Amino acid sequence: MATAKVEFENVRVRYGRQTVLKGVTFDAREHEILGIIGPAQSGKTTLLSTINRTIDNVPGAVVTGAVRLDGRDVRLTRDVFGLRRRVGMVAPLPVGLPLSIFDNVAFAPRMAGIRDHHELEQRVENCLRNAALWDEVKDRLGSLGTRLSGGQQQRLTIARALSHDPEVLCLDEFSIAIDPVTTMRIEDVLRELRSKMTIILVTNLVQQARRLADRTAFLFNGELVEVDTTDVIFSRTPASRRTYDYVNGIFG
Amino acid sequence: MFKATPLTRRKAYAERAAQAVFLAMTLTMVVPLVVIVAYLFVQAWPILSLDFLLTVPTHGMRAGGIWSPLLGTLYLVALSLVVATPIGVLAAVFLNEYARESWVTRVINLAVVNLAGVPSIVHALFGLGAFVLFAHMGKSILAASLTLAIMTLPVIIASTKEALSSVPMAFREACWNVGATRWQTIWHVVLPNSISGILTGVILQVSRAAGETAPIMFTGAVFYKAIPEGTLFAYGLFDQCMALSMHLFTISTQVPDLPKALPYGAAVVLLGVVLIVNALAIVLRIHLRSRKKW
Repeated sequence: MATAKVEFENVRVRYGRQTVLKGVTFDAREHEILGIIGPAQSGKTTLLSTINRTIDNVPGAVVTGAVRLDGRDVRLTRDVFGLRRRVGMVAPLPVGLPLSIFDNVAFAPRMAGIRDHHELEQRVENCLRNAALWDEVKDRLGSLGTRLSGGQQQRLTIARALSHDPEVLCLDEFSIAIDPVTTMRIEDVLRELRSKMTIILVTNLVQQARRLADRTAFLFNGELVEVDTTDVIFSRTPASRRTYDYVNGIFG
Repeated sequence: MFKATPLTRRKAYAERAAQAVFLAMTLTMVVPLVVIVAYLFVQAWPILSLDFLLTVPTHGMRAGGIWSPLLGTLYLVALSLVVATPIGVLAAVFLNEYARESWVTRVINLAVVNLAGVPSIVHALFGLGAFVLFAHMGKSILAASLTLAIMTLPVIIASTKEALSSVPMAFREACWNVGATRWQTIWHVVLPNSISGILTGVILQVSRAAGETAPIMFTGAVFYKAIPEGTLFAYGLFDQCMALSMHLFTISTQVPDLPKALPYGAAVVLLGVVLIVNALAIVLRIHLRSRKKW
């Protein structure tokens, strides 16, 4: 059995008085795509933000339980910025930083202290290739990232998330604002990337999880309903009746 | 196609009427400005020349130019901005980017808003007490500039915060997600994209600082001070100085038998300083906004 890369152990999160995660325990393993499905307000996005501790920036958020990356609790790390570089994060809406395409992808390496231009060029090309964007933008790396189309910007966002060599790539409903063709291209990209890293795919599209994920977790209302291989989750007999109902569109 | 009915005709009429009213109001606003500027120029015309700008007043202010008050105003404005801009901008960065919502920050924000509304004469008394007397600066350019700085500070903070918060939160989150520190995020993404708004806010305070009389009256500006012509370094930091706003006030009210064009000349120069600076702000804003990136 593959080793656990990211472990959630009894993770509880509340914002002020509102509890959004009510003790969630499961893991994401090396070189797998873990799908996380569940209706809105089930705590999926919050769960992702506990991994790279961007939840620290949310006023009033309180996290208990443990989130471990390679067995180490992320809250014990002294270098939170180094931690964030180990985790790639792609937000629902594409965000091209108001910089050139090149600088968008070179941003994270530069912030990490890489100055050598040749190395930066190499990295930018690799990341853009991995995000299936290189061929479209290689002749205009100097133009603004914010002027790209939505689908291109989302791939730029993925390229940026790859630019700091993450071990875990988290995607939060990445296809919400882009067209189906681009979505399919990015899904192919993710299948390629699986051999290099752990991918956690939060998605509203149940069928997307079915197409991509090796295992799928079903979150509902801040609780983990079940996690199993995608085949089981989408079979006639998942462990929970609610899972069956949700993936078949009976509720949610 | 649709035919015009009484209803649509009535609506079209109301639309035209509304537009006319709004246009009239806009013109009402512009007309006094144009009239004032034109009147000032016509009255001041006989006296306006480069000589008027560059010579000092003579014959008990009844002749000569306005070099000494003009230079004094430039000193006061420049020095007050040098003090107020870094403090104001950095304070705004802290309040907008670092400070968490708490009663302390709420009190600070409230204080900033209220300070912006304090009448300038109150700032003048504060400057007199704090800088002239308590800090033993005496009536001096330094004390007057610091008073002006205190006066402009809250507005600079408010306008800078406004400019910073116009940068979308998603940019900051994207930077944090790739491991950038708060400061890296501010320096590489937030500030470059809010600089036009920040500068505009700062520059607009120039005209305010140049125009105020009350804060400098008690703290550093004098009725008359003799300075040499032809040098930009005529005043020292602890000298008292003349200033355009104060000069205009004193010659109009205290000097008998004044040539009629003289106060209008001073007013035109003051207005000119303000308009030039404002025009600069507009040009700068257009230039920086043309590089707007999203």
